[in-house]
Amino acid sequence: MSDEDSSGWQLTESDPGVFTELLKTLGVPYIVDDLYSLEPESLAALQPVHALIFLFKWFPESPDDEPGVGAGHYDSDFPGFFAHQTVNNACATLAVVNALGNIASLPAGPQFMDLMNFTTGMDPQTCGMAITSADWLREAHNALSPPSAISLDGLDLPKKSEEAYHFVVYLPILGSLYELDGLKPYPVWHGEYDGSGEGWVKKAREVIENRIHTYPTGALEFSLLALRDDPIPGMRRRLDTLQGLAGDAEFSDLMNKFSNENSKRERWAFENSSRRHNHIGLVHALLLALAKAGKLDSAKADAQRVMQERLERQRAMHS
Amino acid sequence: MSVDLTSSSGRTILAFKAGRAFRRAGTNFVDASPTKGAIVLTNEDGLIHFMWKDRTTGEVGEDLILFPGDARLEKVPQSSWGRTYVLKFESSDQKHFFWLQDSSTRRDEEFVTNLNRTLADPNIIAIWDMRNVYPASDASTSAAGTSTSQPSTVQPTVPATSDSTPASTTPEQLAQLRGIVSSMTGFASEDEPWLTDVLSSQNLLQLFQSHPELLPALFPHLPPELIPSSDATPQQVVEILQRTTNSPPFRSAVAQLDRALRTGALGEFVRSLGLPESAATSVGAFLAAIAEQARQEGSTEEQMEED
Repeated sequence: MSDEDSSGWQLTESDPGVFTELLKTLGVPYIVDDLYSLEPESLAALQPVHALIFLFKWFPESPDDEPGVGAGHYDSDFPGFFAHQTVNNACATLAVVNALGNIASLPAGPQFMDLMNFTTGMDPQTCGMAITSADWLREAHNALSPPSAISLDGLDLPKKSEEAYHFVVYLPILGSLYELDGLKPYPVWHGEYDGSGEGWVKKAREVIENRIHTYPTGALEFSLLALRDDPIPGMRRRLDTLQGLAGDAEFSDLMNKFSNENSKRERWAFENSSRRHNHIGLVHALLLALAKAGKLDSAKADAQRVMQERLERQRAMHS
Repeated sequence: MSVDLTSSSGRTILAFKAGRAFRRAGTNFVDASPTKGAIVLTNEDGLIHFMWKDRTTGEVGEDLILFPGDARLEKVPQSSWGRTYVLKFESSDQKHFFWLQDSSTRRDEEFVTNLNRTLADPNIIAIWDMRNVYPASDASTSAAGTSTSQPSTVQPTVPATSDSTPASTTPEQLAQLRGIVSSMTGFASEDEPWLTDVLSSQNLLQLFQSHPELLPALFPHLPPELIPSSDATPQQVVEILQRTTNSPPFRSAVAQLDRALRTGALGEFVRSLGLPESAATSVGAFLAAIAEQARQEGSTEEQMEED
């Protein structure tokens, strides 16, 4: 009845491991990392940063006022790549594509390059539709979400909080800072940046911090992600060079960073595997194992007791 | 006594497949739009939302807030095909037309009746006829016409399938589970334990440590990339199992199964696990059926050892 191949875009989680996996599928040697602060030291540690992704959900008091839209100017003559968000669930992937489409000499796989060629010269709306019609891209995107969503006939409702996230990309294009928001008619131009010192991220920091401050306190939930080069190949090369100088401070410091980075990748790989997996079979197998071990009855009795205690606490709270 | 353990924001009351139909301008004809969709009723902070969702894109096409007693979904008698309905209002002339899209008409009346009962009074409890949900069942524990789960007092019957090893769940089964969960409200009785508590982190760790010989049977059910290699040490095996069972996707699967078992509508699903139909009626019945399955497998293993 339901054709899995033609089903729409699934809602994905928006953490760095998921984005990085998507980049791998696109053949792009970048990673996405959580950015916990916009301070110079935090950003410096992640350089070179190609784009910043600002993801947020906010709780408006009235549907008409949206802060943060005053800054910058629409650039209706924008020469670069810009796609509108035509499918809500595709928002994360669309943000990534909007960023990648504007990075000069981007190393990428053939399918992505073809897609970029195909969409050259398209207006944002048509471009957005072309992106969301790319079957291979949709499949790559959907592969990152839990299995039950894939085979569904559509009766499942996405979790309310995930549905409300919105993604905006900030990146340097032709000497200026641009904001790419798939829900806005055009890219937003925030002015030229000074290439010296920190470079474009300095301007991005100002613009993003200003934006955050326009929301009433407590009304905004947000996260920042950085699209950056994968640091592991570089670290490996440097470690090889320093190999002979084992006592060197730089070596041990770098070794630390290298092993942290690897642990992080391992954690992402675990989370991605886990996320894609249908665990119901495991639940059944575990219950069976408990039964064979003669522990099922006591586990059930314990669970009943815990339940009673919980109910009593709830009643006590409400009386 | 029922305890509503669902979250207070955005709770799905019911959902069923339906498409929209639109009046042809200037006529009394209504043309059905082929788009696959669903009518979804949710309770968001006390307000009833009647939504129509596009099932292929996930987009919400209509989102109406309805006041109790204001709206009803009525069958359009002139529709020769018989599955066209119109949402009508006391307070206005607006009309929204829909057509039911479930491949079987068996549950049409049940969906619409429950929808109308909820629209009339959101506090009413939806009544799902077990015989409609699970037509082949002869399980005497399913009281036709109620959806509250009762602690099972019926002995599970011998599994019908010859294969008593747990079958791996197919995507269709999981889809069924999800579909059922999202279309029904769940109720808990005080005696019903939660699988989440039965499979607590502590209980599982004790199991992993005390019965290493039972663990290899779990491996086929792990995410493929995480299956322990043959030279993994016992500690590594325990670590992998612990990590997996503490992960959010696993915990979420347990919670799903908890909710689904409380609606008592998982007949086909439990059969696919090699359990009898009665296992679907409650958590208690499910656990009892598993205990029986374990005994059966245990005796098979003993026989094998004797050969």
